Amino acid sequence: MREEPHVGAVQPTAVGAASDRAIAAEDIAIDVRDVRRRFDEKDALKGVSLLLRRGTVHALLGPNGAGKTTLLRILAGLVDPDAGTVVIDGDPSMERTSRRYRSTIRMTPSGDRSFYLRISGIENLVFFARMYGLRPKQAKVRAAECFEAVGLEHAGDLRVGRYSHGMQKRLSVARALLVPAPILLIDEATHDLDPQGAARIRGLIREAVDDGAAVLWATQRLDEIRGFADHVTLLNRGEIRFEGTVRAFMAVSPPRRYLVHLRDAAKAEDLRARGILARSEEALDDLGRIVPTAEADEGHMLMALEEDVVLSRALGALMATEIEVLACVEERSEIEEAFLNLTDPEP
Amino acid sequence: MTLIALPRFTLVSSEIRKLMAFVRRDLLEMLSYRLAFVSDWLSMIGQVVVFFFVGKMVSPETIASYGGSQVSYIEFVAVGIALTSVLDVGLGKVISAVRQEQLYGTLEALLASPTASTTVQLGLAAYDMLYVPIRMTIFLVLVSVLFGANFTWTGLGPAAFILLAFGPLVWGLGVVSAAGVLTFRKGTLVLGFAGFAFAVASGIYFPVGVLPTWLQPIAEANPITVALDGMRSALLGTAGYRDVLPEFAALIPFAIVSVVAGIVAFRAALRRERRLGTLGLY
Repeated sequence: MREEPHVGAVQPTAVGAASDRAIAAEDIAIDVRDVRRRFDEKDALKGVSLLLRRGTVHALLGPNGAGKTTLLRILAGLVDPDAGTVVIDGDPSMERTSRRYRSTIRMTPSGDRSFYLRISGIENLVFFARMYGLRPKQAKVRAAECFEAVGLEHAGDLRVGRYSHGMQKRLSVARALLVPAPILLIDEATHDLDPQGAARIRGLIREAVDDGAAVLWATQRLDEIRGFADHVTLLNRGEIRFEGTVRAFMAVSPPRRYLVHLRDAAKAEDLRARGILARSEEALDDLGRIVPTAEADEGHMLMALEEDVVLSRALGALMATEIEVLACVEERSEIEEAFLNLTDPEP
Repeated sequence: MTLIALPRFTLVSSEIRKLMAFVRRDLLEMLSYRLAFVSDWLSMIGQVVVFFFVGKMVSPETIASYGGSQVSYIEFVAVGIALTSVLDVGLGKVISAVRQEQLYGTLEALLASPTASTTVQLGLAAYDMLYVPIRMTIFLVLVSVLFGANFTWTGLGPAAFILLAFGPLVWGLGVVSAAGVLTFRKGTLVLGFAGFAFAVASGIYFPVGVLPTWLQPIAEANPITVALDGMRSALLGTAGYRDVLPEFAALIPFAIVSVVAGIVAFRAALRRERRLGTLGLY
């Protein structure tokens, strides 16, 4: 047993609640400690530590160039770290290039280039299934199962060279699932997928997690981690800015801007004559500001609240002036807010 | 979900089975390039046609006799061209295969799988290793039928025996070159020149005796010449397995050094790429 480390040296206040919990050593699939990597003049990773637990999805967030892919490639044994350690299954003697290490990990790369373009998707899967040690018949059966599972059954004998980006992503996930592995490293798997396709892929990954796999899920689709990931690590410029549960991550920065749909419920003519915008501004007063989202539709507004104002107080103020709130949604999700708060703005 | 370590024998047999997967993959790829397949055969036949007419100007006396009988130039050169298939595969195909894997991004996918790097190296040429002897045989049959060349068909076995030593030798050199391509991303030009020089200083297209005197000892020691002597003795003369044993034995040390150098160089190149983090770059 050891205490779960938190590494957020930049913003220690962003440590999630899970960091305080001790976790059993046998529950740890990957223990990454103080990994550093430099490419030419750029520090891609500046001392990243991370624990990946069995049977969980660990989301790896971060803007472009944060170091997500570099970290995954180091974990997959494709790039050597300059410093730091990566321990799999609690066995520090396992070399990252050893056969046993590579049997333990499957990676879905972020790019399209990882298949033989002149042969069909299913033949690609058969080939890689053989590389993972399946016998010819097993490989064919398993390839067909995974091909169908990711929704590519319609692609049949189509060469991979004719696949769309999304289809290649699906194929890449299918490859990762060919032979169950204890650790899955998934890089932007749903990037080019439609919502249904993305949900399907997440469902397959969740099934693998339910079977005990540990998943490190790098993504820029922030909202997909809600209800899917168990833990979050946010990287920014090679450093960890947050590590903890999704709930803790969402709590980092409560949303301050809401899209509201209002309706005038006033019966008095003089109130109605003033219109809902003027009355809303007056009702909110120093609680926040409100502006229409479109000139033609006075009922839809963007409401921005002041720092210490809770949402219910603002809505109460609107309703007190006989304005009904038909709908109220966050303009940006808590996850997106937290992400923007914890990462540096683009130059 | 804990993985169980497999016994060594199981691992070795598993790796050997993977080679067949490479063969199947390359066969499918080859079938997708039907035009290239046809043009390969047409160019080879075209080459023989040229040498057939060149041969009409060459006096048979300038060519060594094999098994006591004089051979024609077309017979002499056909065996040389057949052997260049092995050179093409060993030197050219291994390099282009590595380059293609880099370009497709599949090299990383392969190296991230639990497949030994030696299996990957062998796998990249496995299909051609099987295809080349078949190609050589069909080629010799065509030359025999179309141009009336006389080959000793019982010599196919001893000729293949020579290839057992010559093939690994060339493959090892190819893997050394592939390691260079992996490292520098280019190198086929240098290799092309080296291969050309290597081939000229041998007896592929003309007898070693017509080379400048100073070049003849070098050509005699050239493994290509050694392999050609053995194959011509078998296919144009009456040499059996026992007769080609000296050539086979002479090639073995070259083959061992070449294969070891290939494996070491390729592993070193992979280590370097991992260290630099450039394995995925192309």
